Amino acid sequence: MSHPLSRRTALLGAAATAALTAAGCSPAQQSSSASSSSAPVTVTVRLWDDQVQKAYDAGFAEFSKANPNITVKTTLVPWADYFTKLRTDAAAGNADDIFLINGSYIQPYVTGNLISEIGSDFADLRGGWSQAAIDQYTFSGKLYGVPQLTDGGIALYYNKDLLAAAGVTPADLASLTWAPGAGAGDTLLPLLKKLTKDANGKRADEAGFDGSKPAVWGYNASQDLQAIYYNFIGSNGGQFQDSTGKFVFASDQSAAAFQYIVDLINTHKVAPAASNTNANGDFARDQFLQGKIAIFQSGVYNLKNVADGAKFAWGIAPLPAGPAGPVSVVNTIVIAGNAKSKNPDAAKKVLRWLGSDGAAYIGKAGAALPAVTAQQQSFTDFWKAKNVDPTQFAKQGELKTLPAPSGANYGAAFSAWKPIFDEIFLGRTPVADGLAKAQEAANKAINS
Amino acid sequence: MTTPVPGTVRPRTVADRPGARRRRRVEAAWAYGLLGPSLIGISLFLVLPILVVLWLSLNHWDLLSPMRFIGLANWIDILTDPTFGNSLAVTVVFVLMVIPVQTVLGLVIALLLSRGLRGSWFFRIVYVVPWVCAPLALGVVWKWIYAPFGGALNALLGTSTEWLTTPALALPAVAAVSIWSQVGYVALFFLAGLAAIPSQVLEAAAIDGASPWQIFWSIKLPLLLPTTFFVLVTGVISSFQAFDHIWALTPGGGPDHATDVIASRIYLEAFGGAFHLGRASAMAVVLFVLLVVVTVIQQRWFAKRVTYDLS
Repeated sequence: MSHPLSRRTALLGAAATAALTAAGCSPAQQSSSASSSSAPVTVTVRLWDDQVQKAYDAGFAEFSKANPNITVKTTLVPWADYFTKLRTDAAAGNADDIFLINGSYIQPYVTGNLISEIGSDFADLRGGWSQAAIDQYTFSGKLYGVPQLTDGGIALYYNKDLLAAAGVTPADLASLTWAPGAGAGDTLLPLLKKLTKDANGKRADEAGFDGSKPAVWGYNASQDLQAIYYNFIGSNGGQFQDSTGKFVFASDQSAAAFQYIVDLINTHKVAPAASNTNANGDFARDQFLQGKIAIFQSGVYNLKNVADGAKFAWGIAPLPAGPAGPVSVVNTIVIAGNAKSKNPDAAKKVLRWLGSDGAAYIGKAGAALPAVTAQQQSFTDFWKAKNVDPTQFAKQGELKTLPAPSGANYGAAFSAWKPIFDEIFLGRTPVADGLAKAQEAANKAINS
Repeated sequence: MTTPVPGTVRPRTVADRPGARRRRRVEAAWAYGLLGPSLIGISLFLVLPILVVLWLSLNHWDLLSPMRFIGLANWIDILTDPTFGNSLAVTVVFVLMVIPVQTVLGLVIALLLSRGLRGSWFFRIVYVVPWVCAPLALGVVWKWIYAPFGGALNALLGTSTEWLTTPALALPAVAAVSIWSQVGYVALFFLAGLAAIPSQVLEAAAIDGASPWQIFWSIKLPLLLPTTFFVLVTGVISSFQAFDHIWALTPGGGPDHATDVIASRIYLEAFGGAFHLGRASAMAVVLFVLLVVVTVIQQRWFAKRVTYDLS
């Protein structure tokens, strides 16, 4: 078993850091003098997205040409382990000089003084950053993190071949609506039934359809916070978290939204069973890329993956509207400086660059929409050259939106509701009961 | 410098008492000197971590904020927590599923392989391969075998059973992988145990007219008791600590906490988002005490029955 060892390492690391600090020779102090001389330094950058890593690597090569004394090295930690590893490494004093972080997980690092404030040294750059991002990452009047990636809103990727085979046109997707219980005005479910096909070639709206032997699913309804359920909650007029940070997802509106998604999976079988998707966040994307899902609801963060991986013609359509219209979650990701960095001056230089010209590389590679507004054009240009119009994500982001979840103990809350949500999506726990239980557990955890 | 020779103790007389004392001191210094390196290792990598875990169990620590002493709060918390109670129960059931099957199956395989049939060298290797492989990698492979959509097992059976997400099936499914990966290791030890039985004992029994069953039951099995003791103790300990493949197959404690064994729970508490290092440490201490108790019981039972003298 590896965890007792990790715990021990973490503890010894923390003790060692404390001892060094007490002795008046903290790593930060040592390095100030080191980097003020022109000795070569290596700044490390940690991130979770391989597309962004490729873009960064290309950019940092240019950066090092202009700053020959600074080498920048990127480290990829997969999303599933990212925040666990970051936390243990931060405790042990081994975190990278700079790391990507999102709004859900940043707070404990701010309160623990583990990331540096983006203060007056960056004042000249702030005007070029997305205001939504600045607001999301400002705590007690101080900004923590340089805005890097913005997701805009969520949209639908569709497989043109599967649509054509089902007699559906892309125009049919332009103004889809859903209604609780698939009641009056619901156009989403009939369309998804048309697109779903079993192994015998029967469509879900035909007699004799066998949902237990799927060949093509219409949609990726699943336990995906950002791509799926947050948007259903919002478009039904519900909330996930209120302005004080309390979880309020057991409301009637949210319950109706969850019920709709769960029914798509378990009753109508127009989406993969939750046993496939609960623990594997990439299942739906992989099935879409293999031509087994017709409509894949996701964000701009999957654009490059879809463009690189799809061997079929595809397009982008707007998010289905609910009773409250089409409502999407918006999220921005920042890159933060480690307050205990051994190379604070060099790291600041890299951060300044990422907050200005450097952000263009993410856009130029089409990896993500830069949150440095001046560099967003590079992203649009990249995709225009490939005959892809990514503006739907940005358009959706300008409509009604829900902020991404956050909180000091967000991780604890997430792990408290996750097993209960698993059961809800598997259809084994009634939606209303499960949500009430999950909400109570999440609120208890966020305050623990 | 005089070199003490162990075992040369003379009757003490008044005349040479001071010299004997000095010799004893030198002898003790030598002993401690020789034990030193391993003592340092044991204190640094065994005793110290145990003390740290004990200390952590009395604190609240989330890795980022400063540690806070909270007395027995973690202990009261976990001992009244039904989730931890469930984990204890799940672990005991898991051990009861794995140990008898793996031990009996290992013995049967060893008996078959020890008959020296042609090609048995090949099976010796085949059975040990899963034990040699990384448990996490095995978990990933078995995850695919168990997959409800496109999985090998369901394709073979023509079903679409959700092996890992149905609460009643998840634990047996995970236990089966555990048995599969450990049985070769058990068989290997039994094979060695069988090889150590003097052939003249077996020949004498055969000449006396004992049937193969009688030879197995009255001679081989009693002479295999030391091996059985070893296999059981190590098997029970590793089953109580089982984590890697269980986590790979059913991350987060499985459906409805069905495979939420103690090790999974400890990991979840410590690194599953909540970062309750204190609570996790208290759970680790419970597991430690449990293993000591179970091992002592096993040791007591076998001590009365085992003979290590095969001559």
